[in-house]
Amino acid sequence: MLTVNELSKNYGDFVAVDRISFSADKGSVFGLLGPNGAGKSTAINCIAGLLKPTSGHAAVAGHDVVSDGKAARRNLGVVPQELALYEDLPAIENLRYWGKAYGLGGQALEDRVTEVLEYIGLNDRAKDMPKEFSGGMKRRLNFGCGIVHRPPLILLDEPTVGVDPQSRARLFDMVEAERDAGVCIVYTTHYMEEAERLCDSLAIIDHGKLIAQGSVDELRAKLGARDVLQLSGHFPVEPTKQAISALIERGNADLEFLAQEEDSITLTLSNASQHLPAIFEAVAGTGGSVSETSLRSPNLETLFLLLTGTELRE
Amino acid sequence: MSFALTSFKKDIARWRQDYMATLIWLAIPLLTGGLITTLMSSDVKPHGTLLLVDEDQTFLSELIVGAYSAGELGELISVEKTDFDEGFERVNDGGASGLLVIPEGFAQALLESEPVTLTLRTNPSQTILPGIITNVTEILLDAGFYAHQLFGDEIETFTSMTDDPSDAQVAAIAVAIQNKMESVAPKFFPPVIEIEIIEPPPQEPRPPLALLFMPGIILMAVVFSANGLAGDFWREREQGTLRRLVFTPARMGEFLVGKALAAAVIIGFVGGTTLVLGFLYHGISFAKLPSSLVWIALSGIALFAWFGALQMMFSNQKTASIFSMMLVFPLLMAGGSFFPLAVLPGWIAAIGRIAPNGFMAHNLTLEVTAADPWSISLLSWLTLIVAAAIGLSICAWRLRAGFART
Repeated sequence: MLTVNELSKNYGDFVAVDRISFSADKGSVFGLLGPNGAGKSTAINCIAGLLKPTSGHAAVAGHDVVSDGKAARRNLGVVPQELALYEDLPAIENLRYWGKAYGLGGQALEDRVTEVLEYIGLNDRAKDMPKEFSGGMKRRLNFGCGIVHRPPLILLDEPTVGVDPQSRARLFDMVEAERDAGVCIVYTTHYMEEAERLCDSLAIIDHGKLIAQGSVDELRAKLGARDVLQLSGHFPVEPTKQAISALIERGNADLEFLAQEEDSITLTLSNASQHLPAIFEAVAGTGGSVSETSLRSPNLETLFLLLTGTELRE
Repeated sequence: MSFALTSFKKDIARWRQDYMATLIWLAIPLLTGGLITTLMSSDVKPHGTLLLVDEDQTFLSELIVGAYSAGELGELISVEKTDFDEGFERVNDGGASGLLVIPEGFAQALLESEPVTLTLRTNPSQTILPGIITNVTEILLDAGFYAHQLFGDEIETFTSMTDDPSDAQVAAIAVAIQNKMESVAPKFFPPVIEIEIIEPPPQEPRPPLALLFMPGIILMAVVFSANGLAGDFWREREQGTLRRLVFTPARMGEFLVGKALAAAVIIGFVGGTTLVLGFLYHGISFAKLPSSLVWIALSGIALFAWFGALQMMFSNQKTASIFSMMLVFPLLMAGGSFFPLAVLPGWIAAIGRIAPNGFMAHNLTLEVTAADPWSISLLSWLTLIVAAAIGLSICAWRLRAGFART
């Protein structure tokens, strides 16, 4: 349904998206993960036709987004990160307007608008103005306006930013329902737990580049069964490095140094809890001290940490 | 073009929610126009009261009282007889323009050429009416002096009669007066000064001043509403709907056409309301209403397009709004909304007619003051259509060139 091939977007010398390639199929949720500023929204905007790629191609349902843009856009529903609604137009009129913008009309439009209102839980507020809605209700209407024309591909750009837990859960249900109906969904987020819950396959993007791609299970396997151990305190740089290297040489082969700063070190290893005394002893031997310990089981967040050496939400 | 209709309906529906803006666009020109028209067409004359204390109660004192109430002076001044105390109190309280006291013995003194004092107390809070009363009183006294000089003997004869005069006595006095009039007539009729009266060249009758104000005031409503509606490009951008539109297969051109048509309807409504009120007030033939309304709506599209194009050139909504408002008032001033171009000096009027709204107001003036409807020239219609088309093209270019995408 969506094919992205060697897509790049430059702003002068700054490379916002650097030759990324991926594809997404019908009836699946494809997650595009990365921290703020990683290039997710730029990639989405190139696919949606808002930005012209500097190089590379993207095609929606076989239609190139640049050379056959109108056909591509007909098959695409975009739910932008920021709300994009007429606050002074009743909810039902918003849906009608965006339906007509995608070429719907007549009874088909009316039926679909009724269906979407029911689906997003706003049928009893259909004639009210969005300016009177709560944030969550506006988000749902924003979602409804993006799917009113039954697109086979939906681009959801950080749809849960600033959304209360109840509305978030409702949005997840809607995404899953669309997927079950055979729609292909591209979902960008910087919340790993959202990606783990919703996505069938993922691409992790950082500094405009895809740094990992695959199903959630495949990506988890990259971590193996290793935990991520983060120690805070005081760590002299060189002595700490040497002490950890010595631990690796003494038989902790899967111990890996992820990041080190004066006040923290991040390590990954199997059964980390069992190795804590040895690690504390090594740190103490360098003149350092540990004030706080954080041990995390393997998940996408730790995978991101493994791949980039930085926290996802930084 | 089906999406143009959708875009049009959407903007009309949104406008109906924002009726306060429409009221403001209507209220400012109507208020201004109402004030100007009231001032220009007002025929209210000042009117004052002269309190008169007649202590003489003679034929001559009655003549003076009658002189204040005669002819056009009577439309300005009402004479009210009173006694001194009440009159003094009323004029001191500002309840009258003046108090004239004719003392007892006035007539006798006048006939015998004895000195006599008339007391005139005027209201210091008024300027014009007390001045008129003072001047009239002085003229009456002068007239009395000259009458005495000419007809002193006859007046004395008349007033000294104890019984009603006989027909013969009246005839004798009349003949005497006639003789004196004939003797002085050559000195007055014809006058010694010869006056040459030069007729000014015939001029075409100019429409009433209040009517000349009307087109400028209607254009004020059009300028305000066009500027306000042009701000909707920024509102759409701020609420993300322009950007969302780029994601759809709908054409930006159709979106713009729908928006311009909605602007034409809204401006037509605002301008049309002021137009109808003006037609009713000035008694203009309603046969000219369709042509005037089409001119206003088309003017509205052109102004909307140019204000929109201008506002979209700025980097943020606030700057765009401030600059646009700063432009509105000089435009209104130059375009004859505050002073009709027809009454301004020629060179200023020529500059005013170059201003977009001045051009529009000038042609609307031609239409409403002409003998027949559809009097605006074809060249003016073409100029307006081309101006609107260029403005809309710039808007379309700006929308496509990035304004809608960011």
